[in-house]
Amino acid sequence: MKLFEYQVKDLFKNAGIIVPKSQLIHRVDQASEAFAQIGFPCVIKSQVLSGGRGKAGLIQFVKNEGKGMEEVTRLFALPQKISSLLIEEAVDIAHEVYASFTIDPISGSALSIVSATGGVDIETLAIEQPHKILQTKIDMNLGLQAYQANHIAYECGFDPEIAKKFTQLLVKLYRLFVQYDCELLEINPLFITKSNELVAGDGKCSIDDNSMFRHEDISVPLGDIENEAERLAAEEGIPFIQFDGDISLMCAGAGLTTTVYDLVHYEGGTIANYLEFGGPHYKKAMKAMEICLKVPSKVILIVTFGTIARADVMAQGIVEAIGKLKPDRPIVTCIRGTNEVEAVETLRKAGLNPLFDTEEAVRLAVALAKETKI
Amino acid sequence: MSIFIDRNTRVLVQGITGSEGSFWTKHMIDLGTQVICGVTPAKEGQTIHDIPVYHSVERALRNHEVDASMIFVPPKLTKDAVFEALANGIKKIVTMADGIPLFDMVAIRHAALEHDALVIGGNTSGVISPEEAMMGSFPYWIQRVYKRGNIGVMTRSGSLTNEVTAMIVKRGYGVSTLIGVGGDPVPATRFAEMLPYYQQDEQTEAVVIIGELGGTMEEEVAEAMEKGVFTKPLVAFLGGRTAPKGQKMGHAGAIITGGKGAVEDKIEALTKAGALVADRPSNVGILLEQLNVPKK
Repeated sequence: MKLFEYQVKDLFKNAGIIVPKSQLIHRVDQASEAFAQIGFPCVIKSQVLSGGRGKAGLIQFVKNEGKGMEEVTRLFALPQKISSLLIEEAVDIAHEVYASFTIDPISGSALSIVSATGGVDIETLAIEQPHKILQTKIDMNLGLQAYQANHIAYECGFDPEIAKKFTQLLVKLYRLFVQYDCELLEINPLFITKSNELVAGDGKCSIDDNSMFRHEDISVPLGDIENEAERLAAEEGIPFIQFDGDISLMCAGAGLTTTVYDLVHYEGGTIANYLEFGGPHYKKAMKAMEICLKVPSKVILIVTFGTIARADVMAQGIVEAIGKLKPDRPIVTCIRGTNEVEAVETLRKAGLNPLFDTEEAVRLAVALAKETKI
Repeated sequence: MSIFIDRNTRVLVQGITGSEGSFWTKHMIDLGTQVICGVTPAKEGQTIHDIPVYHSVERALRNHEVDASMIFVPPKLTKDAVFEALANGIKKIVTMADGIPLFDMVAIRHAALEHDALVIGGNTSGVISPEEAMMGSFPYWIQRVYKRGNIGVMTRSGSLTNEVTAMIVKRGYGVSTLIGVGGDPVPATRFAEMLPYYQQDEQTEAVVIIGELGGTMEEEVAEAMEKGVFTKPLVAFLGGRTAPKGQKMGHAGAIITGGKGAVEDKIEALTKAGALVADRPSNVGILLEQLNVPKK
């Protein structure tokens, strides 16, 4: 689960990592008080989970209240429905650094990634200037050792005053990484101010979904998700991504769904949404179809080939969902796997024409999408 | 011969009395797997499908010799169960649960390397040598998927594996051993680490890997081929070629990869190493034919 910037900065603050002074607002009428608290110049930062906020114009540097109010009004009025803005003091920056922790799946260790060149996309830096990135493996049975953090700091070329502060910061960041079962915990940019303070300018935190049971204190407010289909999927924990094409995928199994996604494109079709209701969700056909019906599409394509996710159970669920939700668009089914004979029978009895070959099902869905007019 | 498991492999089942454990133990036995004993705390003295149950692995091993452990415990208890098997000297372990915490998988991977053990999983259907034996949950009775033959299969996926394997069988091939390394971001064993076993196995004449976007496991396979660790024909099918960048699609394979992990990078690496890459499941068998892999 990805956290909003303001949530990450709360974690930082509680862990003793310095963050800029800030105030979170949810409505335009809260802006003036926030500006009074924070002062000018300041930065208005849209709280969205997608990356590239700067390029998208979702982060604005403002020098006075007039301009500030104008930006706050504009950002809240955007079609993507931003639910909150972080009004943050502008920091006197001398230098920007990158620091993060993640997992190295090959060695089974934590991995510290640090670059003295911060404020950039680390993936790009990894390709273009890999020598500027310091990667250090950390035995998670032992934890990050002080000597490792110290070495990293001096390898970055910091002078002793900053190196000492950076070492402490890295140790605090690692503790948070472990405490919250993070897939990724990142500070980028980490500002080094003109008065030699280290201040976390932005933070990213992605908590392992499988570990959420250990972190009941943390959640992303689902109400902040404006898209109804996305919100329903998030409530159920069903993997879902909306696109703007014709074919709504309601498939089971991450690998198979991704493959069907590819096959639709090969056949000249387009995708309305990716939805995967396999694994722990295979009994949720009703919910899955409800979500798919919220997405504008011309056809729903259901492809499964499950083992534990039994075909007969999914077929029964699909028939019940059709009965209750009365979909207004054609449905193509290709349900195979454990108890597939019973599944086919169930689908036929309900008046569907179940297919048995994935590529045939994909071609039919693409053809139907081309015929159907909305 | 097959790899990892055959008729002679003596299997202990941890979590044998649970509903999944009991259900799939029955199927493992029906296929021909030698299930010797089981473990569930507080259930010693019971039997499941005539298999004796013990409180702990150590207590089971006082009475039986085993070669492998099959773990059916829930995700939160998996780390402890794997550690118990490792501590008792078991070198082959399959753990199935979907939903194991990331850091637990890191600890399992680390411990497996330290014990020089093969731990397969989590988030997998397991390992099957069709018409021989299995550890895990495979609908082996679906003949158009689980037919014995000379193709080794390695996969990160469940449903997609059924899809691709059905296509291999449709083309007249069968499977020597299928290993699901699992869909977690940190699988306990990686594709490339299984290649030497397939290389040695006489039954296996070619290997199919079923991969997808994210991570670097397919690149590691290419590297093993370049180094000559694996010299048999290899065909790869990779899901997610048309996936948009930056979306978390498929399994959670993509953590930090330093700019690696896109399907096009994987195709380039594999092709350069001499593998053929199928663009759709139905082409996997055709590519095996192109590599002159005999149908057995």
